[in-house]
Amino acid sequence: MRRGLTISGINVLAILLMAFTFAVWPLSAPVMADSSQVIDDSTTPEILTDTLSELSSDSAVVSASDIMSDKPAQNDSVFRTDRLNALVLMILFSIVILVYTKWAREGKRLFIRKISGLDEVEEAVGRATEMGKPVLFIPGIQEIDEIETIAGISILGRVARMTASYDTPLLVPVRYPMVLAAGQEVVEQAYIEAGNPDSYNRDIVRYVAGEQFAFTATVNGMMMRERPATNIYMGAFFAESLLLAETGNAAGSIQIAGTAQPAQLPFFVAACDYTLMGEELYAASAYLSHEPLLLGGLKGQDWMKILLIILIVIGIILASFGFGDWYFSLFESM
Amino acid sequence: MNLWLILAYVLLIAAGIFLLYKAFKSGDRRFIYLAVAFYVIFPVLITLHLPIEISPEVRQLYKAVESLPDSATVLLTFDYYPSTLAETEPMSRGALHHLFRKHCRIVTMTTVPLGGPSIAERVTRNLAEEYGKVYGIDFVNLGYKANYVAVLKGMGSSIETIYPTDNSGTPLSDIPIMKDIKSYSDMDFIYVVSDNGIVDYWMSIVNAQYDIRVGTGVTAVMAPRFYAYLQAGQMTGMLGGMKGAADYEMLVNQPGTATKGMTAQSLVHLFIILSVIAGNVVFIIEKKRKRQGAKV
Amino acid sequence: MKTTVPIIIAFLSGFVMILAFFVSPESVTFGNFELEPEVLSWVTIVGGFTLLLGVVSIVRVNYNAVKRRNDGWVYKLATLISVFAMAIPAVIPNGLSPLFGTGPGSIYDWLFNYLDAPMMSTMFAMLAFYIASAAFRAFRTRNTEATLLLVTAVLVMLWRIPMGEIMLKSIHESIPGLINTYIMNGANMAVQRGIIIGAALGAAAMSLRIMLGIERTYMGK
Repeated sequence: MRRGLTISGINVLAILLMAFTFAVWPLSAPVMADSSQVIDDSTTPEILTDTLSELSSDSAVVSASDIMSDKPAQNDSVFRTDRLNALVLMILFSIVILVYTKWAREGKRLFIRKISGLDEVEEAVGRATEMGKPVLFIPGIQEIDEIETIAGISILGRVARMTASYDTPLLVPVRYPMVLAAGQEVVEQAYIEAGNPDSYNRDIVRYVAGEQFAFTATVNGMMMRERPATNIYMGAFFAESLLLAETGNAAGSIQIAGTAQPAQLPFFVAACDYTLMGEELYAASAYLSHEPLLLGGLKGQDWMKILLIILIVIGIILASFGFGDWYFSLFESM
Repeated sequence: MNLWLILAYVLLIAAGIFLLYKAFKSGDRRFIYLAVAFYVIFPVLITLHLPIEISPEVRQLYKAVESLPDSATVLLTFDYYPSTLAETEPMSRGALHHLFRKHCRIVTMTTVPLGGPSIAERVTRNLAEEYGKVYGIDFVNLGYKANYVAVLKGMGSSIETIYPTDNSGTPLSDIPIMKDIKSYSDMDFIYVVSDNGIVDYWMSIVNAQYDIRVGTGVTAVMAPRFYAYLQAGQMTGMLGGMKGAADYEMLVNQPGTATKGMTAQSLVHLFIILSVIAGNVVFIIEKKRKRQGAKV
Repeated sequence: MKTTVPIIIAFLSGFVMILAFFVSPESVTFGNFELEPEVLSWVTIVGGFTLLLGVVSIVRVNYNAVKRRNDGWVYKLATLISVFAMAIPAVIPNGLSPLFGTGPGSIYDWLFNYLDAPMMSTMFAMLAFYIASAAFRAFRTRNTEATLLLVTAVLVMLWRIPMGEIMLKSIHESIPGLINTYIMNGANMAVQRGIIIGAALGAAAMSLRIMLGIERTYMGK
């Protein structure tokens, strides 16, 4: 069965996007300055998301349309020329990913290096089954709109399929209601696909607390009472990472962690048995499923990284010899 | 130095070594927790003042603030949760001492809903009383607004649109200090004290797009991440953890809780180092014994 | 249909946000309707509805445990009481009494400042103990990399305390400066950047897979 949009469909969309870009770029007609100003959701990564109280009062919420500006827009054209370099990189990135995905679909064999932490997931679930103890899975402490949480939920689906097959109890405490909804959907589907729908219970995934340390305290209590045999932490974690990992260690659990938060990696490395670092978290879903399409995407991403390394090396050489301002300007916003 | 003080600390160190020995013997980590508890509580009760070497990034931030003209306008943020007060409140206090002494006009705000506004209110008013500063004339607390990206972006064009009133509900138009502070362009410096990733947004949205200098105070865990910004020149100085706060307290000549905490931090660090070294010595000895046993 | 419609919605939503990044805001403004901010507001509204899900979940789980008198049911009862004790006074309008609402002097404010905040600080403070036990257990000279980790950790821990700086300076005056330059501003910064770049690429690749419907496990498929 074909997965996702077809490759020819993707090609059409890519061409449309590029055509749109080049069609609107030369437009230089001044645009009427409106009363609103764009909210720039830039590429910077993580932040502790605000909790329930940000929705408690209308007057506390700033809607973007409240922002009035008398200043004219910086760019007169429709297309933001200061982001052309980002667009080029994005298109190149997309093409590389799609090419490898296409090759994977055609049956080309793709080598992916061993990731010990992921190889151990099935062993760890097996251990829990033998001991008759539950598996504890935490898909991070951020909201569902964060990519790390989505990665965590994807891995949860795979783990839930394993626990459903082995009929191992699964505990999934979550911090946000939307993550609860997504998690319940994923786990239920996993149990149905594993042919064990009767073992599914909607309280497998449970909302425990909205505040970071209240969540941590609850989960720590769960660990000390339930004594799970395996703890899997996959997603975004912050200060509570060591609290969770050390408590899990004290409870005698085998622990596998994965996060893209650089500040928390040392804590997981010190306290867990296996740690997935950065992009290994995003690769986990592909790695566990061994699906060619997903693996193809991984390879494409790696080639993009090689390209970036080459670009950096060129920059280092040029900077070391004191010229190359034109090269650096390619990567700056205009 | 007081002989009794030296004796007390020698006894403390001996107690720690004993507890470490018990931890090795029994394998119970609670002996380690007990030792850490001693090393944290004891210096709070009997403080030993240690000479503090100022870090270059702290000195950079101090110099940047010191070079501001008197009566400059500074935005001071309280972007931290109550859980990190021990590290971050001394930074805010140090900043306020420095800014009030220079007669700077201070605008405070927060992007943290849980406790941010009340911490800002408490800390600022407390120190303002000491310096005889008047709310509304010398400083103002704007409080909290949700949707931090919109807030950071919006303040670049109009603060009053984002914050029609201050934290107490007074319209900004009725507050004298805000009469000529309309956006970032009316400010001379932004002093961010934070315990979360909002610092990235201050750098990418505010510093990069509005070309205003930003100095930060962050927790020790986060500090290593921001050396890249320091090196690139985007960040004008950084206070990293309690050590950074203590350095700043020394520079503004107002030793406070961070300076007191240095003794506890020193003892705990030394204990951890000792336990790690001792653990490795035992590990190596046991490894050698196993090898010799295997040979036999 | 059940699978295709969500994929199309995911694709269109992602495409719209990408478009908004590259196109000037005035181009996607139609009267009072601004595309990107509007979509961001929808996220907040949907989040508001899902709050109810969370409350229902926490009440159901804990109520069942109390009803069945499971182990530790008293703590579950305390959880339920806490949830309502904080929520009910906060949602009652402040006009009825200064004790209600979330302003200074209210029950919510008192509970937050005198119970919640100290508990948050306590949990954070526990990190000190856990770091000690984690370091005690994890820093072993098992191999070259572990030894390097151990030596670096010891140097940085010494560098961050006054006593340690004095000790390092007594060996050589320039050691703290060298640690700052070569470890913090050198190796540490390079590694942080490398991890962030790798993670960002991984996130971008995953986002693309989600948009194109290749990655569907988050939907339970």
